Amino acid sequence: MRGWRTLISKDWKLIYRNRLLLVVLLVYPFVIMGVIGAAFQESGRPVPLGVVNLDRPGGPTIIWFELLTPRPSGLERTLFREAEESTACASLDQAVEGLEGGGFNLTAAAVEEGSEPRCSGHLMGPGVLEWLLDEMESSAEEVRYRDSGLEALEELRASGNGLLVGVPSASCPYLGESLWMEGRAHDSSSLLCDFSRDVAEVREYAERSAALEDLRKGRVDAVLLIPPGFVRRLKALEKVAEVEVVLDQSSLVKAEFAETAVRGFLSRISERVVEEKMRAVVAGLRILVEGGDFFGTRVVGLSRIKEDLVGLREKLADDPKLAASLEEGIGLADAVMEDIGEAADYLRSTALPVELRITSVAGRPLAAKDAVVPSLIALSMLWTGVLCGAVLMVLEDEEGMGVRLRLTEMGPLALVGSKLLLAAGIVFVQSAVMLLLAVAVFGAMASNIYLALVTIALSSLSCIGMGLVVAAFARQVAGAVILGLLFSFPLVFITGIIFPLNLMPSFMRVLARAIPLTYSVEALSGVMLRGEGPAGVLGEWLALLGFGLFFLALGSLLVRRRAG
Amino acid sequence: MTEQGRGLFLEVRGLEKDFRGYRALEGVSIEVKEGETFGLIGPNGAGKTTLVRILTGQIAPTRGEILVDGRPIQPEEHRFRRRLGLVPQEPSFYGRLTPAENLALLAGLYGISTHRASERVRELLEWAGLREHARRQVRFLSRGMQQRLSLAMGLVHDPEILFLDEPTSGLDPEARSAVWEMVRELSGQGRTIFMTTHNMEEADHLCHRLAILVMGKIRERGTPAEIKRLLGTDRLELRLEEGGLPELMRVCRELSLDCGEEEGVMVVSGDSLPEKLPLIASRLSGSLRDLRYREVTLEDAFLRFMEEVGN
Repeated sequence: MRGWRTLISKDWKLIYRNRLLLVVLLVYPFVIMGVIGAAFQESGRPVPLGVVNLDRPGGPTIIWFELLTPRPSGLERTLFREAEESTACASLDQAVEGLEGGGFNLTAAAVEEGSEPRCSGHLMGPGVLEWLLDEMESSAEEVRYRDSGLEALEELRASGNGLLVGVPSASCPYLGESLWMEGRAHDSSSLLCDFSRDVAEVREYAERSAALEDLRKGRVDAVLLIPPGFVRRLKALEKVAEVEVVLDQSSLVKAEFAETAVRGFLSRISERVVEEKMRAVVAGLRILVEGGDFFGTRVVGLSRIKEDLVGLREKLADDPKLAASLEEGIGLADAVMEDIGEAADYLRSTALPVELRITSVAGRPLAAKDAVVPSLIALSMLWTGVLCGAVLMVLEDEEGMGVRLRLTEMGPLALVGSKLLLAAGIVFVQSAVMLLLAVAVFGAMASNIYLALVTIALSSLSCIGMGLVVAAFARQVAGAVILGLLFSFPLVFITGIIFPLNLMPSFMRVLARAIPLTYSVEALSGVMLRGEGPAGVLGEWLALLGFGLFFLALGSLLVRRRAG
Repeated sequence: MTEQGRGLFLEVRGLEKDFRGYRALEGVSIEVKEGETFGLIGPNGAGKTTLVRILTGQIAPTRGEILVDGRPIQPEEHRFRRRLGLVPQEPSFYGRLTPAENLALLAGLYGISTHRASERVRELLEWAGLREHARRQVRFLSRGMQQRLSLAMGLVHDPEILFLDEPTSGLDPEARSAVWEMVRELSGQGRTIFMTTHNMEEADHLCHRLAILVMGKIRERGTPAEIKRLLGTDRLELRLEEGGLPELMRVCRELSLDCGEEEGVMVVSGDSLPEKLPLIASRLSGSLRDLRYREVTLEDAFLRFMEEVGN
């Protein structure tokens, strides 16, 4: 037993007196737990949600409806038929001019494959516009709302056949309607504001494009598009209010969080609406029994009918006048049965008053494999870059060649630069092969491979630079590998790969901005999944370049100082 | 070994080096003549490697002056670095490269043309006895072969002065002997060599002149013979029959020799002891049980010196 004690005591002393072992075994777990704990500290934080509310006055001047339908000419004919005046226009711009000048209150562009869009302007009579919009929306396969006519036209042309309709928001018949709920009137803005308070931090946008830009930049985690007539549909018996939520699926976790938050508060709105309607139905049913005003219909009430029928049964044989009264009672009973049937329809339509349509900022829904590839490549670059940079630098000292090399004609720049080039080459080739395999073999999405390769090249610089910094604290290859892994592992938790940045505490978000990997992931996701061009990721590229140069300079300085 | 040399090649004046409050070198002044092998001896931690690192431009001195060919220089100067070769104390080569690749790499980094480099590699492999092992990875070679390669690597660019930092440390006698032979050959070719060692036999065999560095200070300098003379002399150890002591004392008085007792053995020392030895032996022939002549070695002298410094 004494021997065991001696051995354990010896091993403890060896651990205690070896700084690296001490850090790895005793201190590092606390560091990791600290980082993870800090990252998840505020996991209940509201999701930043961009909202484009088209169902309110004072929004965009013109609301554009993209009506996807295989036969736009049918809808177009309806327009011409119902309009008081119609004019064919040479272009959408001309139609818009007419709209802005007040000559028209509706403009349309019919898009059919193989032919140029046919633009027209129309003046609709009072009441017709609302009916027409309802009619067209219900006959289209899908309706999208946009804030730019030209953008909508391009989108429609890319999608196939459809009709683009523009209506001045001032002419829109049902914007800003309100709904009585919980003892007060709610318009769309107050509904969103009240019901999203705990789960989302709402930022309102006037334009869809601005909201989507912020979604791409990670300033919001989702964009909710409230269509014109949203509240009106909530109130209507036979309609469902459809909202569109755009998610950034390049980060699956972020998208999941955002979708859950949006679904959460929309379902709360649905519940309240259903509750209000049920309350109305219950009151209505009571009226059916007691008698009174049932949604505008004066009903006698079942109790009265029952009394009459009882009276009839007793007196029918003695008094011929009662025969007429019996006839009236039968008529009333028919009316009541019809009303109850309507009430049943009402209940069916209120079961799901809000429907969510999910789209991706990438333009198409992303699969898990699509979203995972940029993160995997960034992680691979981090580990390969840090390890490659650190090991190549330490290798000289481990082999004892550092001294000899410093005596040769080659300056420190060449000694560090040559390693940097080799390491950058290794990281670049490895990451490029991963990218190409992911795209070619697994069919992962990469909107622009060339821009992804540029991002990889810039990212590799900073990763290797971090490796040089690590090398300054290691004497042997094994030590450099361990230090490299210890250094890079916590970064994974801070850079939004695992947990969305927007849901982290503010100091962690600031910290994340000081880590190149954050920019690598953002730029790679941008060019591969969100269809960003060079301008869209220029900020990330410059940050990566800056970090690369900074870490290279710092690493070189530390390595030189240690050599001295 | 006779002292060689023409002019001064390297001169160090009042060199000092401080490391975070600890003075590793203090007022070090030495002179290395052109073509000589200069040895710096001293115990572990004396500051030998620090001095080599300063002279080869790896670290800067805190104070002091270094002159080459009579002109002050900064050792990290590119022009001077080109003129020096270094064989570090620790193994220094790429283990996964072959000897030929290691040599060719350095030749390339010193800017030697490809054609000349391949010639130079061949010459050095031949000189170091590694021609047959030229294509084996260095990590598979014996420690002796690796040290011979290390020596050859220090000579790739044909430097004027070669710094050897404890070149035979950790080698077996055979390997050490081979390295000594190579150093002697270089010295014979007139190459200036600056070597550090704590092996006194090595210093005695290889160096024309020596300096003793203890605790960062140069304590003695001179040829090995001068240092031996300074620090100790040859001596005669005698064991006598009873009654022989008075005759020994008489002889020592007559021959002006010192005489004393150390652990039951009579010790006689003084000038021209080898010449006086036959007379002593004949005078004491009747009472002499045992006689040993002990020639002083550099190691004896050094140990005695260290004892004095310690005291």
